[in-house]
Amino acid sequence: MRRWRLSFGALRLRHIMATIFILAFLGGIGAVLVAWSGAYNVAASRGHWPITNWFLHFTLRNSVETHSLGIRPPGLDDPALIRLGAGHFAAGCAFCHGAPGDPPGIVVRHMLPKPPDLSNAAREWRAQELFWIVQNGFKFTGMPAWPARGRDEEIWAMVAFLQALPELKPEQYRQLAGADRTASDPLSGCESCHGSGGDRPASALVPSLPGLQQGYLERALAEYRSGLRQSGIMQQAASTLSDADIVRLARHYAALPIRPAPEPAEEADRIARGREIAERGLREAGVPACLSCHERPGSLLFPRLSGQQARYITGQLAVWRNGMRRLSAPGQIMAVIATRLPADAAADVAAYFQARDATEVSQ
Amino acid sequence: MRGVGRIPACLLLLLPATACADLQSALSPRGPEAGSIALLSWILFAGGTAIFVLVMIAAAVALFGPVRWRAVMANERWIIGGGIVFPAVTLAVLLVYGLILMRPVPADAGGEPLRITVIGEQWWWRVIYRDGEPVESANELRVPVDVPVELSLETADVIHSFWVPNLGGKVDMIPGRTNRLRLTAGEAGISRGQCAEYCGGAHALMSFFVVALPPEEYRIWRQREAQPARPPSDEARAAGLELFLAGGCGACHAIRGTEARGTIGPDLTHLGSRHSLAAGTLRNDRASIARWIAESQHVKPENLMPPYGIFTDAERDLIATYLAGLE
Repeated sequence: MRRWRLSFGALRLRHIMATIFILAFLGGIGAVLVAWSGAYNVAASRGHWPITNWFLHFTLRNSVETHSLGIRPPGLDDPALIRLGAGHFAAGCAFCHGAPGDPPGIVVRHMLPKPPDLSNAAREWRAQELFWIVQNGFKFTGMPAWPARGRDEEIWAMVAFLQALPELKPEQYRQLAGADRTASDPLSGCESCHGSGGDRPASALVPSLPGLQQGYLERALAEYRSGLRQSGIMQQAASTLSDADIVRLARHYAALPIRPAPEPAEEADRIARGREIAERGLREAGVPACLSCHERPGSLLFPRLSGQQARYITGQLAVWRNGMRRLSAPGQIMAVIATRLPADAAADVAAYFQARDATEVSQ
Repeated sequence: MRGVGRIPACLLLLLPATACADLQSALSPRGPEAGSIALLSWILFAGGTAIFVLVMIAAAVALFGPVRWRAVMANERWIIGGGIVFPAVTLAVLLVYGLILMRPVPADAGGEPLRITVIGEQWWWRVIYRDGEPVESANELRVPVDVPVELSLETADVIHSFWVPNLGGKVDMIPGRTNRLRLTAGEAGISRGQCAEYCGGAHALMSFFVVALPPEEYRIWRQREAQPARPPSDEARAAGLELFLAGGCGACHAIRGTEARGTIGPDLTHLGSRHSLAAGTLRNDRASIARWIAESQHVKPENLMPPYGIFTDAERDLIATYLAGLE
């Protein structure tokens, strides 16, 4: 009796397993047949069933939530970050997502999925989730990943801007993003972030270009265009420039008068320490004097630093410390030095160069 | 089995080969300090061999000798005499001898010594001659024959160890301390030294040469070493110097007499007259200098000089021509 029941149980189990296996196999064959026959319609014009739509968004939302688990946002309430993000939003994102007072064009509105209006993104997603989305993009949508691996601070600028976006009126947005300049001329693209003529760049994170050596500016643009230098923002900006554009832009900025030194900063101690490092280096750390390469008359390789924005300088030093900007020959030299320079000393040096009167440096 | 049997024979054959490498060998002393160390070594080798043979004989007798002998050896006195008293006395004598040999040299012994500071850095040697106005050099030591030299051994970073086997013993360079070592070169010639304490990645490529010169030649050399670098003698060298400065090399290297005043890396004022490049890593010639500029990380991995890819081949040649000419 007992023996019979046992074998019956075993028979049933085997039976169920076999059925599942056969069904799965047939299902697989069926899926291949459907794909092969071309019966499934991939047309963007058709849209998804509501159930498919729900399922896709369910998957996406959970994926973002899980993958952004370990990310800790820095302080994002920072005008410099917001302004930098705004400039790139206008150049790289607004075409698909639209911007305040400027909805996306008819072509974009026929994409599937349709790029969402982001004016409420900050309410729907947490900062770390926005970061992960901007960093990685979405498969099977038009949303690309951030072009420069490792430039996290640029991505945080985008997040900071997205968080500010819900409050922005069209007028404020256009002013913030420098978007009211005409887009047809490459120079106007530069000016929307770097400023035109003698005014300061719009954000403290953006370098000041007037009076930099033409050779250096040409190299920087060429390196961004070829990917030797990594930046999601500048690689995008330089991607469409021709050789002639690069020469013209470099010549334009090189010829602009150097801005006089900004009003003396309060951090006199910091500046004095920075000056010591700039002139003598930090011997025990193996850091040579900055001024033995930078601002030597006639040098095209190394940029002039006087009058440069302190936050831009510390930002670039951090970029080197984080292992980037090491593909070009001059970048490899600076990478070694930047890695040896302690973060505190980097801030001192940056404060010194920001305060140093660039008009007194002959090139 | 025949193949395995050959290994000891081969090792035996290798033994004299180590002594042949005269340039760096404790067995070919070239000064009194190295001589007394070599003597101690030979005493140890000979004594060790004698003791080994005696013990083997005693063991053979204990195992296979006549019964009467074995009975004598079973006596406890053999254990006390041969196992306690003999080693204690022998080792005590050797210890005293060794301590006498290694005792710190009194400051005034053998007249006023020539003072040189050697600072170990990752991974090269900073050398400062202190006879007269201090002069800095690197990766090579020049000393006069028969004049005692007192080396002050320091380190800029981790523990290094200064060792020139032909001239003396090994002394560590310890952070925060200055150790002293007195050497005298007994004959003119070149010896090789190296760092003898593992000090990081490029430790194996941290060597140097010691050149012993007759006193008169040393005096002339020392005068020249104190001079600034000669100005470039032709256009190529002038261009090389300009490239050297424009490339920022002077931020770390000094060439006295030029704008280059860096103190992070080796002084290059008279680079061309040295016997090696990069602390005994390369032969010192124009081609090696050009190679070093381009691929120093390949030649000596982890060395602290940044990779210098900013120069074209032609520019590197100009710089190398200039540097090789700094004699």
